[in-house]
Amino acid sequence: MIDIIKQDGHRPTESYSRDKLHASVLAACLSVRTPVGQAEAIAHAVADSVTAWLANKPEVTSHDLRRIAAKHLHTHHPDAAYLYQQHRLTI
Amino acid sequence: MAHKTTFDYDLIVIGSGAGGSAAATIAARAGKHVAIIEADTFGGDSPNWSDIPTKALLHAAHLYDDARHGARFGLRSTTMGYNYPSIRAWKDLAVQRTGAGGNRRYYENQGISAFSGVAHFLSPNEISVNRRHLSAAKFLIATGSSWTTPDIQGIETVDYLTPRTILESIRPPKSLFIIGGGGIGVEIAQLMAIFGTKVYIAEKSSRLLPHMDTEVGTLMERILHEQKGVTTLTQTRVLSVVKEGLSKRVTFSRGGTEKTVRVDEILIAAGRAPNVDLGLENATVIYSPKGVEVNDHMQTSAKHIFAAGDVLGLDSHTHTALLESRIVANNILHKTKAVPDYTATPGVVFTSPEIAHVGLSEDDCLKRDLPINKSIAPLNIIARSNTADFRDGFVKMITDKKGIVIGATIVAPHASEMIHEVALAVKHGLSADDVAQTPHAFLSWSEAVRVAAAKLS
Repeated sequence: MIDIIKQDGHRPTESYSRDKLHASVLAACLSVRTPVGQAEAIAHAVADSVTAWLANKPEVTSHDLRRIAAKHLHTHHPDAAYLYQQHRLTI
Repeated sequence: MAHKTTFDYDLIVIGSGAGGSAAATIAARAGKHVAIIEADTFGGDSPNWSDIPTKALLHAAHLYDDARHGARFGLRSTTMGYNYPSIRAWKDLAVQRTGAGGNRRYYENQGISAFSGVAHFLSPNEISVNRRHLSAAKFLIATGSSWTTPDIQGIETVDYLTPRTILESIRPPKSLFIIGGGGIGVEIAQLMAIFGTKVYIAEKSSRLLPHMDTEVGTLMERILHEQKGVTTLTQTRVLSVVKEGLSKRVTFSRGGTEKTVRVDEILIAAGRAPNVDLGLENATVIYSPKGVEVNDHMQTSAKHIFAAGDVLGLDSHTHTALLESRIVANNILHKTKAVPDYTATPGVVFTSPEIAHVGLSEDDCLKRDLPINKSIAPLNIIARSNTADFRDGFVKMITDKKGIVIGATIVAPHASEMIHEVALAVKHGLSADDVAQTPHAFLSWSEAVRVAAAKLS
């Protein structure tokens, strides 16, 4: 089990969920009008890479998770990666 | 009343190798509350996986090789053999005797809290180790570096060796393809060739040991080929590797032609990358894949976080990491800040003959457009070369236009000892004449240093 320490420091720590990460990356891809199949494939690849990165880490911050996911997403879809990183500012 | 922030520790050192251990020990002796964290084996790379075990194996190999070639001195050594498990046992004993390998108790005896696990910054003053949160006023990042894997097609599908894993091999392979002709690659090439392995060594540059002067690479290529049958492949790019039964097939490009060789094992020694994946963003520490950035006082962009050793991505010597670690300890404990002086830091490759250099090389001077004088004293002009029947090597000395020694390269038996005379000259700004006027014992290898200096005085 991998713990994710939330960014604001007030909300309780939660366990890493591959599905939650997959959903957030998928949403970022779909929001830049990526075809559903391609978005699914990208979300799978990014979630796999992040899960591999977490292999020897029992605890990371949500900021780390977002940074690493954005790094991997950038190689697949730079526009979606930008949106994924900036979504708090752009919403 | 102002609230004073309290932390669990005064100093947390991340990494127990040469870059971390000295600072941790010095700070603890000065009464600081110190913790040290190690993700791998306590003691770090040098005593466990690189310097000590490699040099222990090389010592046994050179002893065996010298004895095997003793016929010219009247020695009967044709039946000479070796038992590799026993040689490995000797290597393990050497590692154990350093006391540095796996020395967690050493730290605990000094009142240092030792933790095993991967450290990850959560905030500028807090890290997580195995879900345990530790805070400190100051940090030292000394996480070292790791061997990198070059981008070669099929490399992930074969089991390849690194300079770390080859030390645990049950026996020397029948044939070995080394990717990377730097210091470690050349050391392992000679080591394995002595034990009977057919060695190929591939290097992208036009010569082996590309970070040293041209003469060194050329000489070592000739020695390795003539004495040990090593095939050197310079200006070579490895294209792909494929598993073929128990062997591996390596395809490489050299001079515009693709060639293939089948070997038992592949060893990758093509460079190291700093270990920077420890949540440095959460601590606002600026870094790049090439290393952590520090100022002259070894402080990172977060002033309370220091860094030392291989993680800086500058130099990969244990003695340099120790120097930086001591500087960090000084700068944490004292108001008068110290700055590391790298000018006379020697670098050594423990081949036979040994290779040692200090200060600037001729290539460094050319790049900086420095006007220099240089001299080369071949080993065969000194008396020891005759009595030891050893002729391959030289002392190359470089001075500025005023005759001040600014660098030297030595290829000779015991070059690792000889270089310190020149290091002293470089550090204290001595002239070539000062070195030449110093009496050197007759029949010592160091006579070659005097000869090289005399040519410049």
